[in-house]
Amino acid sequence: MVTMNLEGLEMIAVLVVVVLFVKVLEQFGLLEAGYDDSVEDELELSAVRHRPEGLEQLEAQTRFSRKELQILYRGFKNECPSGVVNEETFKDIYSQFFPQGDASTYAHFLFNAFDTDHNGSVSFEDFVMGLSILLRGTVQEKLNWAFNLYDINKDGYITKEEMLDIMKAIYDMMGKCTYPVLKEETPRQHVEVFFQKMDKNKDGVVTIDEFIDCCQNDENIMRSMHLFENVL
Amino acid sequence: MAAGVAAWLPFARAAAIGWMPVASTPMPIPPQDKRKAQDGLIILNVSGTKFQTWRNTLERYPDTLLGSTERDFFFHEETNEYFFDRDPDIFRHILNFYRTGKLHYPRQECISAYDEELAFFGIIPEIIGDCCYEEYKDRRRENAERLQDDEEMDMNNDVTPVNLTFREYLWRAFENPHTSTLALVFYYVTGFFIAISVMANVVETVPCGTLPNRSKEISCGDRYALAFFCLDTACVMIFTVEYLLRLIAAPSRYKFMKSVMSVIDVVAIMPYYIGLVMTDNDQVSGAFVTLRVFRVFRIFKFSRHSAGLRILGYTLKSCASELGFLLFSLTMAIIIFATVMFYAEKGSTASKFTSIPAAFWYTIVTMTTLGYGDMVPKTIVGKVFGSICSLSGVLVIALPVPVIVSNFSRIYHQSQRAEKRRAQRKTRLARIRAAKIRGTNAYMRYKQNGLLIDSLEEASKEAGQALVGKAASPPFESQHHHLLHCLEKTTNHEFVDEQTFQANCMEISVMNKSGSRASSLSSSPHGLSSCCSRRHRKKSSFSLPSTNNQELSTIQIRERPVVNSRSSLNAKLDETVPLKCDEPYITPSMVSLSAPVVTSSDGDSSTTTTAYSQSNIVRVSAL
Repeated sequence: MVTMNLEGLEMIAVLVVVVLFVKVLEQFGLLEAGYDDSVEDELELSAVRHRPEGLEQLEAQTRFSRKELQILYRGFKNECPSGVVNEETFKDIYSQFFPQGDASTYAHFLFNAFDTDHNGSVSFEDFVMGLSILLRGTVQEKLNWAFNLYDINKDGYITKEEMLDIMKAIYDMMGKCTYPVLKEETPRQHVEVFFQKMDKNKDGVVTIDEFIDCCQNDENIMRSMHLFENVL
Repeated sequence: MAAGVAAWLPFARAAAIGWMPVASTPMPIPPQDKRKAQDGLIILNVSGTKFQTWRNTLERYPDTLLGSTERDFFFHEETNEYFFDRDPDIFRHILNFYRTGKLHYPRQECISAYDEELAFFGIIPEIIGDCCYEEYKDRRRENAERLQDDEEMDMNNDVTPVNLTFREYLWRAFENPHTSTLALVFYYVTGFFIAISVMANVVETVPCGTLPNRSKEISCGDRYALAFFCLDTACVMIFTVEYLLRLIAAPSRYKFMKSVMSVIDVVAIMPYYIGLVMTDNDQVSGAFVTLRVFRVFRIFKFSRHSAGLRILGYTLKSCASELGFLLFSLTMAIIIFATVMFYAEKGSTASKFTSIPAAFWYTIVTMTTLGYGDMVPKTIVGKVFGSICSLSGVLVIALPVPVIVSNFSRIYHQSQRAEKRRAQRKTRLARIRAAKIRGTNAYMRYKQNGLLIDSLEEASKEAGQALVGKAASPPFESQHHHLLHCLEKTTNHEFVDEQTFQANCMEISVMNKSGSRASSLSSSPHGLSSCCSRRHRKKSSFSLPSTNNQELSTIQIRERPVVNSRSSLNAKLDETVPLKCDEPYITPSMVSLSAPVVTSSDGDSSTTTTAYSQSNIVRVSAL
């Protein structure tokens, strides 16, 4: 009996007993379970609340009337009671408009375009500024905004890769069931067409001036810029 | 697309500018914004509680009442608001649906009231949010079950048709023994014999003392073999007869033969017949002994006699999945622990755990906390695992039990409710009948009043006499009665109350037997069956059979003192004047005109009514 060679099964038995002992101690609170995240969660929740600037200031900064701002804010606050939109919510909302396809990539790019101060959330001011440009801005401003959207890394140049990403994101929104059937190289071909049109000096990138120049000469694009003017 | 994100549509459209430079073809023309939305506030007044919301909020769901032009029907000009005469508490939830896009179900509201409100406002219940959907579905299912119970109850108990075939009568007697005394007797007799048979099976095996020339004790069954055999035969006779009768009476024989109770019946009586057929062969006698075991299934026949047993059986059936899970988890645990114990005890000498299947027995006994003690671990490891085994056994068995208990409780309460409804049925029917009689009486009084007014106006122009001084019935009542009156005039028949009608039927049957007016009552056999069967159908006895119609012309001419049902209605309901047997042709149509004398006693009524009937005969024929 003195020779205690612990065989395998006995080892397991001892382990089991030890585990049970630890659990009992935890129950009595003598041992910490090691959950430190609970405190952090609470802090995070309370910080996420945002109040926009006053109505007068927004009226001055954007081209919307008071009434329009009221309507916009009511809709915004209804969807996002906390006052800010984070990327997940943004993707969610945008995806509801395009149920057949996957709008999350394009929504990601859009989010970056709206989030002008790049703090990871779109507040009402960002939202309304963006809308002001899109709906009430000059053609120049709109084209500027579009360029900003395409320029993913915001370096002032649109490369073919960036354009391809954007193109793929747009085609993703269409989903699978299209006519004619979407092929793998359709986005790439579209990008080629785009670059042929836009890239005047054929250096492989599109600058802001090339972009604006080219768009202003294109009738279709000009006409379509005025399409959404009475949205609000 | 969820209308809740409708607020973001302008944004999504604006963001579409991002596609413009990329597009190669021109864009389609945008739709015209017809309403440059004057987004005004709408006031919704629901039974006094005012709700206000934006017009756009309501118009998010244009296929509901509030979102479409249907709400204009409820617009109240004086107060410039929309008024709904509905429940404001439930309306709160409906309005919240427009605001948030999610429909919630309040737990404290009655499910049918909620469903009605949803139906009124044109909202389909399927869009109830996930948070409340389970609760809603559960409550709805309970309600449906309750309604189904009631319907079945009513169907079973109300319809008591007289002309059943013998087979249907027999089946009903078997299913509801309370319908006739014969069925009740049969029910008790079979119950008695089931008990006798089961007891005989039990007593048969008791040791009864020894035979004089043997030292071994023999059982009672062997000692009084003949007596037991006779008893068994008698019981099996009864059971066989019962089974055959049920088989004959069953409306669907195939379905009956598949049912559980009939299988039990067959299994209960088969051993006897097989025993009769088989000879005392050694090989099959073993099987024969096994068959005798099946005789104990007779005890299940008691489930026809006991509702509780049926509930238990039904509960077990409905908890089949929980029981299955219990079994499965137990099996898993048994195998695990048996393996562990076997290997733990392998080392110890003279261990009873000779194999894993042998350890199964130990595990089962330990997990169910029986602990016989015939197999006990001796090593420390074995004891450790043995204690874990018994602790976990308690847990594993305790888990599915509450589910089964709650199922049983639900089913039990359902049957309690059914029992209570059965008990209250009599009072309920009496109440319904009383209400009907009240209605009929009210109608008769209306007619008396109406025709009294008519005749008085004709007779004397001085109105406002005490005779006409009856309390004015509410306008709804008077319009309803006018409607019934129009129906009478249309069909040339009159409404009578039930007692009168039954008396008429009896009268007609009496006359049929006497046969004096057999020729005129040529169609009476049919009329008899139809009128009496109508009585059984428990509808209010509206019109007499059509036989009376042809008698109208002949009857008017006769000037008899018309002591009949209407005069009884003149008086109170209970003072029914007994109808004379020699006046088979009760003519209610004539009677109504003689009714105007309100306060006269019965004796007088005969003469006065005669006078009236004579003077008004011409009018009757105009009917």
